Amino acid sequence: MVAGGDTPAAPALQDRAGRALERLRRRGFDQALACAVQGRHTEVSCNHNQASLLRSTETARLQLVALHDGRRASIDAVDGDLEALDAAVRALHESVLAAPQDEAHSLAAGQHLRHRRGPLGPPAGELAAGLADAMAQLLDWRAANAPKVMIEEGVATHTERRLHLLSSGGSDIACDSAWFGLSVYGCARDERGTSSADAAGGHGDRLELPTVHQAFGIADTLQALERQIVTAPLGGRFVGDVVLAPQAVGDLLDWLLEQLADEALIDGSSLYRQRVGELVASPQLTLRSRFEASPGVLPLSADFHVAAPLTLLDRGRLQALTPSLYGSRKTGLPHRPLAAGGWALDAGEAPLADLLAGVPRGAWVSRLSMGAPAANGDFSAVVKNSFRIDDGRLGPALADTMVSGNMARMLTDIVALSRERRDTGDTLLPWLRISGLHFS
Amino acid sequence: MQAAGTPQRRPALCRVGQAQGATPAGRMLVFRMSDSSFLETREHQLRKLRLVMTDGNLTTNALSSERGVSARAWRKGYWGFASAPLVQADGAATRSRVQQQALAHATTMSRFGPRRQAPPAGARWRGEQGSAGPIRLAAREVGERLRAIDAWCRRRFTGLVAVNLLATEESHDKQLQSDQGVAARLGIERAALAIEFIGQADDGAPIQVREVLSARGGLGDLAWQPSLLEPLLDTLHGHLQAKRHAVPARGGEHTVVLAPDLAGMLAHEAMGHPCEADCVLAGAVTATRVGQPVASELVTMADLAHHWNGQELMVPVYADDEGTPAEDVVMIDRGRLAGFMHSRETAALMGQAPTGNARAYGPHDEPLVRMRNTVILPGDSTLEQMIEGVDDGYLLLRTSNGEADTTTEFMFGVSLGYEIRGGRVGRAIRDTTLSGNAMAVLASVDAVGSEMHWDCAGYCGKKQPMIVSVGGPALRARAHLGGE
Repeated sequence: MVAGGDTPAAPALQDRAGRALERLRRRGFDQALACAVQGRHTEVSCNHNQASLLRSTETARLQLVALHDGRRASIDAVDGDLEALDAAVRALHESVLAAPQDEAHSLAAGQHLRHRRGPLGPPAGELAAGLADAMAQLLDWRAANAPKVMIEEGVATHTERRLHLLSSGGSDIACDSAWFGLSVYGCARDERGTSSADAAGGHGDRLELPTVHQAFGIADTLQALERQIVTAPLGGRFVGDVVLAPQAVGDLLDWLLEQLADEALIDGSSLYRQRVGELVASPQLTLRSRFEASPGVLPLSADFHVAAPLTLLDRGRLQALTPSLYGSRKTGLPHRPLAAGGWALDAGEAPLADLLAGVPRGAWVSRLSMGAPAANGDFSAVVKNSFRIDDGRLGPALADTMVSGNMARMLTDIVALSRERRDTGDTLLPWLRISGLHFS
Repeated sequence: MQAAGTPQRRPALCRVGQAQGATPAGRMLVFRMSDSSFLETREHQLRKLRLVMTDGNLTTNALSSERGVSARAWRKGYWGFASAPLVQADGAATRSRVQQQALAHATTMSRFGPRRQAPPAGARWRGEQGSAGPIRLAAREVGERLRAIDAWCRRRFTGLVAVNLLATEESHDKQLQSDQGVAARLGIERAALAIEFIGQADDGAPIQVREVLSARGGLGDLAWQPSLLEPLLDTLHGHLQAKRHAVPARGGEHTVVLAPDLAGMLAHEAMGHPCEADCVLAGAVTATRVGQPVASELVTMADLAHHWNGQELMVPVYADDEGTPAEDVVMIDRGRLAGFMHSRETAALMGQAPTGNARAYGPHDEPLVRMRNTVILPGDSTLEQMIEGVDDGYLLLRTSNGEADTTTEFMFGVSLGYEIRGGRVGRAIRDTTLSGNAMAVLASVDAVGSEMHWDCAGYCGKKQPMIVSVGGPALRARAHLGGE
């Protein structure tokens, strides 16, 4: 097992945030916020099935946000010496004065959080050795179990991030978090041809060495690539079903989250602005946050509010919109802070095999390669790393096949959710069977 | 003292050929590196400005600045890389520390066992590259221009649900040194403005159209004074009105006329990525096709280093982030696959010459094989001639995003298009996706336009983001459209 040690949070971060906030106060801003962030990232990567690089990076950032006379600006700079801090404050002051007045602006106030999670502070030497062991294990497994796969890029990582935030409104937030990551990207090839490329990966609190390849669906993804070397077009145009794998389910989720957030709410393009409390998805769908439980995710919103747990869809019924504080003040909607990730769909009751067995004609879709969905949710996508389904049986891998539909409609047309779920740290998602997609 | 709103030009870097110091700029020093190790160091400053105006509200007003030093070492077939923030007071100590870390990291990798790999080699650049510097606008001027565009649109166009504007500026200043003789200063700057109109379709559903302008340099180098934009905004609004009654594209293979905006995306996604040597080594189908026909004889495609047709390009790269002098790479020469883009490492692995395509995005990133200015070269048709020659097909005008594959199957989103019936442009179509096998699509090209369009607004994503430019003329080809 690759796991972390434990070291106390750096008190210097609080001092640095305090020093910056003091400078902002002296400058005379109405409201101000300073966040000192320190990061350390270590990775061992492979290219073309061979270990290649050991990389470590250190970062020290200072994020400053200020509000004056209804005008707001932010700056993100290297956390350096006093001279650099004064230069950043001067630049921020200039930006604030140049901004238009907007009564909806306000900064986080009264937020308190002490968050400590994950494998913090492993000694550098042990960490590098552990990541190298994980990569070696993965490469050995590939050679034995997926010999036709070429991993173009594989990365085993450890990331540590510490921050301390202070605001003129009394917010005091300290987060120390760390996580491991493992990801692969590649394709399979033999004398018959080359498969489409695919990727798998995620974040966790540890990398379990003997079975590191099983994390985040990596083994399944790499072995499936070998079955995708020989492909055939689906042929014909028809309306059918898809079984969406978690990676593609994530695209659907991303679209929904954008619809509920600031930009779509403010510019009027959200399809859900008036639909809180209504059934907007299949009653089988319950979407919950797991901000606290997700490695690599802080329970903190982008505008520095503590993100409380939230059930966004309860048996298909929309429970809330998710404007930021600014979006809330601009639209009059209740403020709902969200973390940058950390979502789970409740598992269904059907085994995955039953989802497949129920499809008369359609496709098993691992990945959607698609243009950004239109404002009304319309999309069309090339199905990648996917297989034909006829009469409930998996057929050959697909090439040159597109599906089109509407994201909002897909949410309501979910026929079944799988009992199995894939955990990538950021998300915990089942497979979905959805009807009514147009194939061409 | 300059008044607010006056464009400010930062002190010029030396142009190529005018470098200061004992070593003339552009002079190439060719070294054969030692078989055991080498070390390169990069200081990198990255500055970004981002203003977002959503429906008249300035929702983002953010400036970021990052400065770091990195070192990359190569020892017996393995790489070590380390980076740290660069603070003026302890710059020398930080530089020395990351150099030691990088060397130690490369040594640590030897736990994977001996690796037979030719040492990366090639020519070394010494000198300075850069433009006269980006023209930066004062923050107040940027805000005022955004407000003026928003206000003009609201006065001019009734029925708009929202106007969304995004102004961005980004600049990179890098200094490279290596123990093998590289001593280079490199600069890249670009600015962009995106304009999006949100409207309502006849059925009440939201619709959108988007236009993006981009330029090398700062926001002061971009022609976006409100008065200059009026014709463009009128045209964009015309497209929004057409999309109110848009019809779905018919799914399947069709004859499509790709406007010049899309040809660059096609070049980048469809054949650009499969011609990056790291993708070739990973199994891209291009690996075994050099010298073979992969496109119509009308198609010549290249990744250009810094100039084309006597003009400096939007992302001029004179030397890459390994210090290799950058050279043009012709990927497809009149229909035949001709060559690949290389770093020093991929060149050594494939027994070819490095091309200057190793680029690192940020101060904490290692160089990867990346494109620079990827282009399909122009032909002699006009857009009107291409449309007139289509009995039943589509005119595709704007794209949103794209994706490539090792199989050369590509896709990109189409956010604006029209039917073509009997040689005439007809109804607007709803957003769709264009896809196909790049070699089959390029083989079907039967007309290439004479007018070029260049764009450097987007990022290419591949472990790290990257600023690239794409260019091309209009093309007529057969490709697959998503739809009912």
